[in-house]
Amino acid sequence: MTELKNKKHTNVQAALSIAAGALLGTGAVSEQAKAQSFDDWKIDSAFLFYSEADRVSAAEAIISATKLYDNDEILNLKFTADTLTGASANGAIVQPQAQTFTRPSGIGQYITQAGETPLDDTFKDTRVQLNAQWTQPIAENYTGSVGGHLSKEYDYLSLGINANLAVDFYKKNSTLSFGFSHFQDTFTPEGGIPKPHASMLIGDSDSPTWDEAFSATRIANSDDKQTTDLLLGFTQVINRRMITQFNYSYSKVQGYLTDPFKIVSVLDSQGVAQDYIYEQRPNKRNKQSSFAQTKYHFPASLANSILDLSYRYMWDDWQIKSHTLDTRLYIPVADIFGENSYIQPHVRFYQQGAAEFYQPYTSTEDIQQEPLKYVSADYRIGEMTAITLGAKYGFNLDNGNDFSIRLEYYQQTPTNAGFEEPSALSTLTVYPIVQAVILQVSYSFL
Amino acid sequence: MPTNKMLLTHLIRGTKQGCRILLALFLFSGLSACANLGVEPWERDLLATKEMALNASPVDAALDDHIYFSKEASSGGKSFGGGGCGCN
Amino acid sequence: MNRAFNINAQQQGYKITFFAMASPCEVLVQSNDLVLINRLADKVTDEVWRIEDKYSRYKKDSVCSLMNNSAGRSITIDNESFLLLNFAKQCYQLSEGLFDITSGVLNRVWCFDGSDNIASHQQIEPLLPLIGLDKVCYQQNSITVPKGMSLDFGGIAKEYAVDRCIILAKAITKCPILVNLGGDLAVTGPRRENQPWQVAIEALESTDECFDNKDMIVTLFEGALATSGDSKRYLYKDGKRYSHVLNPITGWPIEQAPRSITVLSPQCIQAGMLATMALLQGRGAEAFLAEQEITYWLRKS
Repeated sequence: MTELKNKKHTNVQAALSIAAGALLGTGAVSEQAKAQSFDDWKIDSAFLFYSEADRVSAAEAIISATKLYDNDEILNLKFTADTLTGASANGAIVQPQAQTFTRPSGIGQYITQAGETPLDDTFKDTRVQLNAQWTQPIAENYTGSVGGHLSKEYDYLSLGINANLAVDFYKKNSTLSFGFSHFQDTFTPEGGIPKPHASMLIGDSDSPTWDEAFSATRIANSDDKQTTDLLLGFTQVINRRMITQFNYSYSKVQGYLTDPFKIVSVLDSQGVAQDYIYEQRPNKRNKQSSFAQTKYHFPASLANSILDLSYRYMWDDWQIKSHTLDTRLYIPVADIFGENSYIQPHVRFYQQGAAEFYQPYTSTEDIQQEPLKYVSADYRIGEMTAITLGAKYGFNLDNGNDFSIRLEYYQQTPTNAGFEEPSALSTLTVYPIVQAVILQVSYSFL
Repeated sequence: MPTNKMLLTHLIRGTKQGCRILLALFLFSGLSACANLGVEPWERDLLATKEMALNASPVDAALDDHIYFSKEASSGGKSFGGGGCGCN
Repeated sequence: MNRAFNINAQQQGYKITFFAMASPCEVLVQSNDLVLINRLADKVTDEVWRIEDKYSRYKKDSVCSLMNNSAGRSITIDNESFLLLNFAKQCYQLSEGLFDITSGVLNRVWCFDGSDNIASHQQIEPLLPLIGLDKVCYQQNSITVPKGMSLDFGGIAKEYAVDRCIILAKAITKCPILVNLGGDLAVTGPRRENQPWQVAIEALESTDECFDNKDMIVTLFEGALATSGDSKRYLYKDGKRYSHVLNPITGWPIEQAPRSITVLSPQCIQAGMLATMALLQGRGAEAFLAEQEITYWLRKS
């Protein structure tokens, strides 16, 4: 009898909890919206410095402004500017003797010393990017979003649009989302678009016949590329401490996918470079990826830390396959460094297989035997592993402003995907490691 | 139900006295058929924090995407891979 | 009406004081950032006065008055009103009709001024058909209040405002805040260094000899406190004390209700409703509270 009574009363209390929760809108979407309810613009700003040992450095700044309107409409405007300088691998293979290359513009030459990886040191670019995104509820449990993108650099223009629809169900514990984006890019490289497989012209660029000979290796001033992405996502709240997401995405890229600055060494049977030809990639690429992410909020006994774990498997019709494992642990450290501060270690592991047309070099023999169709010696589509190790430290000020600093180390280790190495290369580093440091400072304010 | 409340005053003291956790517990089992997956609206206290958002630091993510897009053969997955720059 | 707020420095932070919903109100903020304090003061007072303007039955152009003067016609309501009505309806059902926001019509015949002016059965009977939230039809975006009936959000608006202020405050800052609207209060969390808030519930000056006049000190880390009851409003006739708490089903005062009940809950609206529902149990109040999984304080008459 008493038990029955107790049960009834427990229900009054619990039912009131539900009713209060419903009234105060502690539901999924509305809570998120209300938790960041603000009348003024919220500004997120960040400055990032990226520097590779002996290669490129980049500086990038982002200012992102978000405004939440009363009816849960969200406007986000983002401005990005970056600048890149330094040297980048041109694709040619290391040699036991010095090598001379012509700059992409056709004006002037540069020399790579014996035993060093050929790097083109003329890279210099500045880019500005603008993004605008509008998100709003469309109907009960339906949220729509549309956005635009513009990116301009000295030799490149990219225009993009995107749209997204999210549907919540099961008390907003599950969300299904569909996304679409399309990018239209135009590339106008300095020196024009090189003719695939044409030999890089090397010699005296002041000679009267140079210009004519150089333009014979060019086929156009510019070319373009279209990218269409489809994204299907599913988010599920597991329990009070855990949320997961699964995405499948399909990306279709068409047009000029070749890198006009990249060449491939043509070696003789001993491994000595005889020629350098411009690379060529297919004009289509279909990429697919599966992505899973989970976040787990540990209890107070584990410092209320939050684990963020994600994995991506990507595969495409260039036969590239990659695995990406990314993990972050958010640890509040209020007792050590003062109120509302945290540290967040980050580890990322990446491994990719080579594209089917990737080869570190080609040979005079191969060129004579069968005409090449697609070839690239760009290590970025070769086999490699990469690791990122880093940590972020941040603190929230009383007024909701937020400051953080992030330092990371990134290392790429290209590996041999089974290509044999001619004798001339045996003592040389054919697959050099690339090391970079990333430093980021962020500040968010209302 | 008109209810005039008592007047209150507050004393802010920095005492470290023994404390009782006064919060009522939600005793609510067997809530729904899917009780083992998902939460009720009032259980979103942790999920609603910005650190628990799937994309908790969009600016960091945008910067990372740009770096890895230019240095590796893969992009996207979490959100659109996209084109967007000539860095690749 | 004076719509201004004051900001005063305190030992650890600032205190924002203002007047709303016929009560003195205050917000304690444990921070010394005056820009933040001003911002909080703006947001909190805007929200409280907004709710007051929208749901007061004394204001001619309030949403509440609009509903009450609709003369039986269907009128449009917004989502917030719909959610409040839903909450009131659930409380009505949970209390089996004892908590009823349509019971205000009884105030036409009951006036708790300490006199012996007891209402008569003849006065009460014709009013009873005008009571009962189940007679009010509402949907997501419309409501029809039958002619002669009226709604009174007075029993939930203040607690609701407290919870809304806490949500707003948390969105603006992480520093510890206490919101007190005329005795219904909530905190955003513990004070700095995990210290509790010390809240003293002051005893009312009482004409009653048997009344225990000591302050109650409450240690509050999280959640909300709400109080129901009032010893000043009663009628007294033939040696019998009639509390101002009316049973909407009979139209008569609840007998032997405690003088006041204070309840602690995660949210103020929940605390307020538990206290009010307990009071409506009359002599059964303490038993009702004891059987809940809650912390409460009770003062007997």
